[in-house]
Amino acid sequence: MKDGLEIVKDMVNKQGGVNGQQITLIYEDDQGIPEKGRAAVEKLITRDKVVAIVGPHQSSNCLAEIEVAKRYDIPYVNTNCWSDDIRKKGYKQVFNPANYNSRVAFAMAETLSGLGVKRVVAFCENTDYGIGQAKAVAEALKKKSPNVEYHFETLDRTSKDFTPAIVPLRSNPPDAVLMMMLPPAAYIVMNQLYEQGVAPSDKTWLYDGAGLGDYPDFWQNVKEAGKNLIEFGLYHPNMGVPKLGQEVGKTYQEKTKHEPNRLIYQAADSLLLVVEAIKNAKSTKPDAIIKALESMQFSGVRGSFKFSEEPGVSYHQWVDIPYVTYQFTEVGEPVSKTTLVQGPNLPLSVDKLKKAK
Amino acid sequence: MLNVDLFVNGLIVGVLYALMAVGLTLIFGILKVVNFAHGEFYMLGSYAYTLGAAALGISPWLALPLAPVVGGVVGLVTERLLMRPLYSGYSSWGFLKDEYAVVVTFAFSILLVNLVDKVVGPYPVLGPALVDVSRFRAGPIMLSGQKALATVIGVAVIVALAFAVRSTAWGRRIQAVAQNRLGASLAGIDPARVSMTVFGAAGALAALAGALLAPIINASPDVGAFPAVKSYVIVVLGGMGSMTGSILASLVLGVLESFGAVYISYGYHDTFGLVILVLVLLVRPQGFFGEQGRVV
Repeated sequence: MKDGLEIVKDMVNKQGGVNGQQITLIYEDDQGIPEKGRAAVEKLITRDKVVAIVGPHQSSNCLAEIEVAKRYDIPYVNTNCWSDDIRKKGYKQVFNPANYNSRVAFAMAETLSGLGVKRVVAFCENTDYGIGQAKAVAEALKKKSPNVEYHFETLDRTSKDFTPAIVPLRSNPPDAVLMMMLPPAAYIVMNQLYEQGVAPSDKTWLYDGAGLGDYPDFWQNVKEAGKNLIEFGLYHPNMGVPKLGQEVGKTYQEKTKHEPNRLIYQAADSLLLVVEAIKNAKSTKPDAIIKALESMQFSGVRGSFKFSEEPGVSYHQWVDIPYVTYQFTEVGEPVSKTTLVQGPNLPLSVDKLKKAK
Repeated sequence: MLNVDLFVNGLIVGVLYALMAVGLTLIFGILKVVNFAHGEFYMLGSYAYTLGAAALGISPWLALPLAPVVGGVVGLVTERLLMRPLYSGYSSWGFLKDEYAVVVTFAFSILLVNLVDKVVGPYPVLGPALVDVSRFRAGPIMLSGQKALATVIGVAVIVALAFAVRSTAWGRRIQAVAQNRLGASLAGIDPARVSMTVFGAAGALAALAGALLAPIINASPDVGAFPAVKSYVIVVLGGMGSMTGSILASLVLGVLESFGAVYISYGYHDTFGLVILVLVLLVRPQGFFGEQGRVV
């Protein structure tokens, strides 16, 4: 995400900055701990006098941090926190160009329905994101495939041995195992699911709802456990991105020698939103930026949208955020070579999915 | 069949817990303090093995000894620089030594975690497997080759350590210092030297555990927290300072967690140890093999 932010910062500053001013980014590491996140936002606002916060990651942190942003009335652009609860709070300072759990749940329920599965088990982490997504999938499945037997197991994200949660599935394998966890726990669970022969297997699909597939460290950490994984994603080279997105992707690739990924684009859009809002408002005053964010039609690196004003999960959200479904069929396969099963302009075709042998 | 599976998996986990806990037990036996940075030696071993193999481009088997070497050296240095004040100024430090040990080891733990986070990065890294068998069936259970090998090496190391402590001159010196520091020094044993070697050995053991498990549990800056918490429970459960007690407690904890996760709830997986600890302490405050107290 830092790379995405830096690329946009350099791009904007090279073009003269915003209203004649250069952008300065100040980084704070919240270490995935809500208390540290809250303190970091407090410090950024009170000591560093930032005009906006961008780049947050992990829902529990976002939920803690938005309270501070609300208190000081500072615009907070949510880059990668998926919990619906962040939106449901209805804070006018919080804007969500990030994906959200209900969106993933809808996509997963659609795919599972297409696969005709009967019994589904989900492993979710014990966080606002994980539990939120597991519950959202339950709701979505109720509507889409009411006959599917679904239950989720909440796993401690700081734990390292998940075998006791996995072993009982061996004697009665479900049709699909869903993953709603972030690394490093997600990688450990995947490796232990593979080790125990539970999923992916000839009986059981493995389906990740956290978008792990394009993390730069994904294949370094999972090896065989990632083969045949079905992936919910927010970026695929074949989904098509606007010219600005292509430019950011190219710069990232030149800089890092890695394929671009969704986090780069999400971060880039977060900063571009603030830049555009300041330009439109011709001011860095929080109220002016917030009003501009609410009213503007934004064209970023992933597409064009306007934040919804509808209360609830859609509040200040990019509601129709594009997503893809794809499958890895080889160990170490780059996202660009994976089988795209569904995309913004590609209807879901589950017949392209292959079970493990 | 499920029960056999759970039992064997629990024993395997128990052996890996034991590899961590015996080092902590040795330190407590000698210095009578809890090393709150013990988990970070596990973390250092995990990284030394993983990054060592990648950076040097060497076989995982050649990288494996790097972990205990790094853990051992950091252990020796830690004892010399941070723990020595515990007993070098015996009369002035004596009544504050528990507080000193808690503060200094806890601070050292935070320092190491943050240092690695900044230098190496927060991203998890999976270590290379020592054996290229991603999974195999052994009777009713499924295992990865690495987990099986880690268990075998773990058992061998624990047996060798138990033998060394019971039957070698080095082990007898440890026992002497553990029983009576002043008495041992009167008999010609240098307690400072023994303390330093124990700290080094404990660091090496924890680091070896980290290396053996790195291909199963990805190295990350906070990876040491989990085995450390288990080790503290085990050390108290087994009886502070008792190696036999620690090994038994490790196996009991591994098996109980395995069964409890299935027959009670996985949600309580990490709390079983604490519940058992409270129950055991109510009935037998000194733990499985601890002594109630001895005044000479």
